[in-house]
Amino acid sequence: MQGDEGDLSLLGRLRAGDANALEALMGQYSARVYRLAYGITRSAGDAEEVVQDVFLTVCRKSESFEGRAALGSWIYRITTNAALNKRRGKRQEVETALEEQLPSFKADGHREGDRAYVLADWSQNPERDLLSGETREVLQGAIDRLPEHYRAVLVLRDVEELSNEEVAEVTGESVPSVKSRLHRARMALREQLTRHLGPRA
Amino acid sequence: MTCKEAIAKLAEYLDGELTSVVQKQLEAHLKTCPPCRAYLATYRKTKELAAKVNRVDMPEDLKARLRALLIDRIRARPAGG
Repeated sequence: MQGDEGDLSLLGRLRAGDANALEALMGQYSARVYRLAYGITRSAGDAEEVVQDVFLTVCRKSESFEGRAALGSWIYRITTNAALNKRRGKRQEVETALEEQLPSFKADGHREGDRAYVLADWSQNPERDLLSGETREVLQGAIDRLPEHYRAVLVLRDVEELSNEEVAEVTGESVPSVKSRLHRARMALREQLTRHLGPRA
Repeated sequence: MTCKEAIAKLAEYLDGELTSVVQKQLEAHLKTCPPCRAYLATYRKTKELAAKVNRVDMPEDLKARLRALLIDRIRARPAGG
């Protein structure tokens, strides 16, 4: 995600007080910033504060953007940090140990659990059922309970569709750590959905 | 390949990041292992569902408030200041 001339000139115009530059910046990034902020904080009120902080920071620090990375990357990084800061002190409320939600294996490498459970495949259930009612609540609850750094990686990869390398650049983690967090987050959510939908499906 | 090894590789499998040798080993395992096939199908679906419920829209009134806040800010501060 290398920065380009367009990014630098957009920020230059913003510094000069150009309202069109602000419109362009908001048009390009505000929806993405909100989605990421909401994805990490899981609160509309917190997400709103994060969005305002992020854009104020972008306006204030636009001189320090040197174009070494893309503007999008820089904005994602500011957003991720602001959203994680917002979460600080709140994390014990709902988050649970991820280990309990990962698949467990026998010594020979086969899955533990009864046959009907390990064979449960609800992936062909109608999507309108999977995304409504109790199932949606289960999924939302499972996302809420993910540790926040895992949620940040999940949103950046699966919603914003950044690559592992781009996520590593945004979060300051290593690529192996990003991959591991993403995989564990998806497995934890899958487990909760399967416990809910499981063999009954 | 065991189920444990197969499941550990699913993210890279979906990203197409496995070497062709490992990919073939994984696919051979999947062919003979119904639980891992079910795992892969539900894992892939989970990824899609989580992305969908996380795709929230920014409220329009927030956009308007943000615009007003920032317009004041950029106009109040001359270039370089």
